[in-house]
Amino acid sequence: MSSEDLTISVNSLGKKYDIYGKPSDRLKQMIFPRVGRLLGRNGLAYYEEFWALRNVSFSVRRGETVGIIGRNGSGKSTLLQMICGTLHPSEGDIQTNGRIAALLELGAGFNPEFTGEENVYLSGLLYGIPEAELRKRFGSILSFADIGDFIRQPVKTYSSGMYVRLAFAIAAHVDADTLVVDEALSVGDVRFTQKCMRFMRDFQKRGTLLFVSHDTIAVTNLCDRAIWLDRGRMIVDGPTRSVVEQYLAEQHAADRSAVGESVLVRSGMSALSDIGAGGQRPAKKSSVDALVDVPIDIVDARIPILQDGGARNRVEVFEFDPETTGTEFGAGAATITDVKLLDFRGESSHMINGGEVVTLVIEATLASPLKAPIFGFYVKDRLGQRLFGDNTYLTYREHPMSANAEERLSAKFKFRMPILASGEYSIDVALATGSQEDHTHQHWIHDALTFKASDSTMRHGLVGIPMHSIEIQRAGA
Amino acid sequence: MISFYRLRDPFSPYKVLIRHFAIVLQMARRDVVGRYRGSFFGLLWSFFNPLLMLAVYTFVFGLIFKSRWNDQVSGHFEFAVVLFAGLNINSMFAECANRAPTLIVENTNFVKKVVFPLETLSWSTLGSALFHLLVSTLVLLGFSLIVHGTVPWTIVYFPIVVAVFIPFVAGLIWLLSSLGVFLRDLKQAMGIITTMMMFLAPIFYPQTLIPEQYRNLLYLNPLTAIVNASRDALVWGRAPNWTVLGLYAVAAYLFAWGSFYWFERTRKGFADVL
Repeated sequence: MSSEDLTISVNSLGKKYDIYGKPSDRLKQMIFPRVGRLLGRNGLAYYEEFWALRNVSFSVRRGETVGIIGRNGSGKSTLLQMICGTLHPSEGDIQTNGRIAALLELGAGFNPEFTGEENVYLSGLLYGIPEAELRKRFGSILSFADIGDFIRQPVKTYSSGMYVRLAFAIAAHVDADTLVVDEALSVGDVRFTQKCMRFMRDFQKRGTLLFVSHDTIAVTNLCDRAIWLDRGRMIVDGPTRSVVEQYLAEQHAADRSAVGESVLVRSGMSALSDIGAGGQRPAKKSSVDALVDVPIDIVDARIPILQDGGARNRVEVFEFDPETTGTEFGAGAATITDVKLLDFRGESSHMINGGEVVTLVIEATLASPLKAPIFGFYVKDRLGQRLFGDNTYLTYREHPMSANAEERLSAKFKFRMPILASGEYSIDVALATGSQEDHTHQHWIHDALTFKASDSTMRHGLVGIPMHSIEIQRAGA
Repeated sequence: MISFYRLRDPFSPYKVLIRHFAIVLQMARRDVVGRYRGSFFGLLWSFFNPLLMLAVYTFVFGLIFKSRWNDQVSGHFEFAVVLFAGLNINSMFAECANRAPTLIVENTNFVKKVVFPLETLSWSTLGSALFHLLVSTLVLLGFSLIVHGTVPWTIVYFPIVVAVFIPFVAGLIWLLSSLGVFLRDLKQAMGIITTMMMFLAPIFYPQTLIPEQYRNLLYLNPLTAIVNASRDALVWGRAPNWTVLGLYAVAAYLFAWGSFYWFERTRKGFADVL
């Protein structure tokens, strides 16, 4: 552990809370057991033990971004507080190198009676920045926080959003080597969140980032490595995607056992409910009419250039192999047996092009009769970020179809594949029953199909969408 | 947790001050200014407060009670000056002693949410009390200049007297703030104890008024020696009793060390009960 490269190194760390009935019992505990030992009486205790964290070991190299996931009460905050030094370990030890700036739970770090300005100076001093230096940076902190005259008001009058703005602004200005962010971003508005994300992504290039969140999407998006904590124990430490998948599968299983037999996933927590955000739109009266209203498929006006210039967005599709897919879970009333991506001719192909109309086919065999099955999918990028997805719910909402046991179902999604940036992609597929808001996953397969895009002209954003036309006009001519 | 400070070092309480001077200063300043925030007169209140108290003492003890300190000192204004000199010391002490038990409890954030050098709270509390002592001492000197037409040159001894007192008060804050976390009754008790100490020190009466055989018992009150010494320096125009002050300095210094040691050893328990 002598390596200079290690920013944080945690060794069989544990935190025990002694639960005391009264504050005075804590004082007794400090005195009487010692006196008792002198008098030959051992084992005097005035508390009950509770281990919030135990046997956690890992180390973080300089420049790494590590996500910490786990449900409430899993010991995430305890771990972070110990890393930041506000809590002292009961066993094991922590070694840290460099200055750590922390954005812990909301309200942490500020004295509520002090004004924002006073808190800026006080926090700065605590981070070891001289007052003169703070004075220079104050303007910059103020403009980052963007809370206006509230800076002269006591922090207790702040909204939670202002609180986190100020906290983030300070943390961004203390030249930290390590930044610890705990759920803090969830209360900011979109713009501020974007500002923070930009800052964090920029920070990743020079510093170590420790990111704690329930939001597995944010974690997958930001971190290359994740640690999953559950009830104070470390379950896995590894590449984010595999950790997040295991975590989600376990959560799903836990939810399932909580409601008995069925796999019930509430909206917001669920992945599938997010599939096809279009489902939130008020549906037109008849799905047939709706189809008629759809304008003629828009084709990118540059298709000839894109296709001819050798700049075609080649996408190599890898076959569905039930043995090599990612984690899968579900209630088991149906099994997804095959997933295919067909090219514009409707033929199974190993090579398709971005910008081309393709068909995703999901086939399933039913073990028991199903009412209103919903097929869905997600296309994810290298970091596990979901690019787009959809499901069959809305189309069949008015006239749900049902199927018998042993029947085979096949769902087809025909869509124009966006132009993809070079990289590896994967598709999650799922078969569920119920409704968009409240449903049971019968079978979910992570990364059922993977494909690889190359030779992309796509430079901006995650996916390219067809540009109907592009032109420059002379104004006023 | 192992304390950052080498506790066997008898100067460790003062190393806090050196190490975290900027924080102590910021907290003390905030404490002084923050107390009057939003008020119209602001910081002037720390000047009005002693001035108005002095006026009340003069009126009540001088004009109504027609009190006399002793045979040499008579007159309404003289009594008020003598009384005020003692009360200033008491106010400084009482301010610190009454706030100490809740010092940590009211700053839970500093214990649980940030890495804060809790040991500096003692110094910053003392710092703000010293500021108020300075203001009321200036009021006292101004008043005695008006009454007597002069101030004794022995006021140069006053800073020494205060310097002797400081370790005791700082130590007391460490001790009480730590105990106050675990024994919540302490807050109530301290209100009574500080009032008792005020009356059991020669503040409202000269020590000579006490029967001979009990007179020195008054020295058990840690205020007595300091009240006498500061009155010597500020009012009577004579040097304080150096022997008493010297012994006091040694005791206060040892007390501060012991209290700091206690504070550092018990602080790991704060987070458990807050």
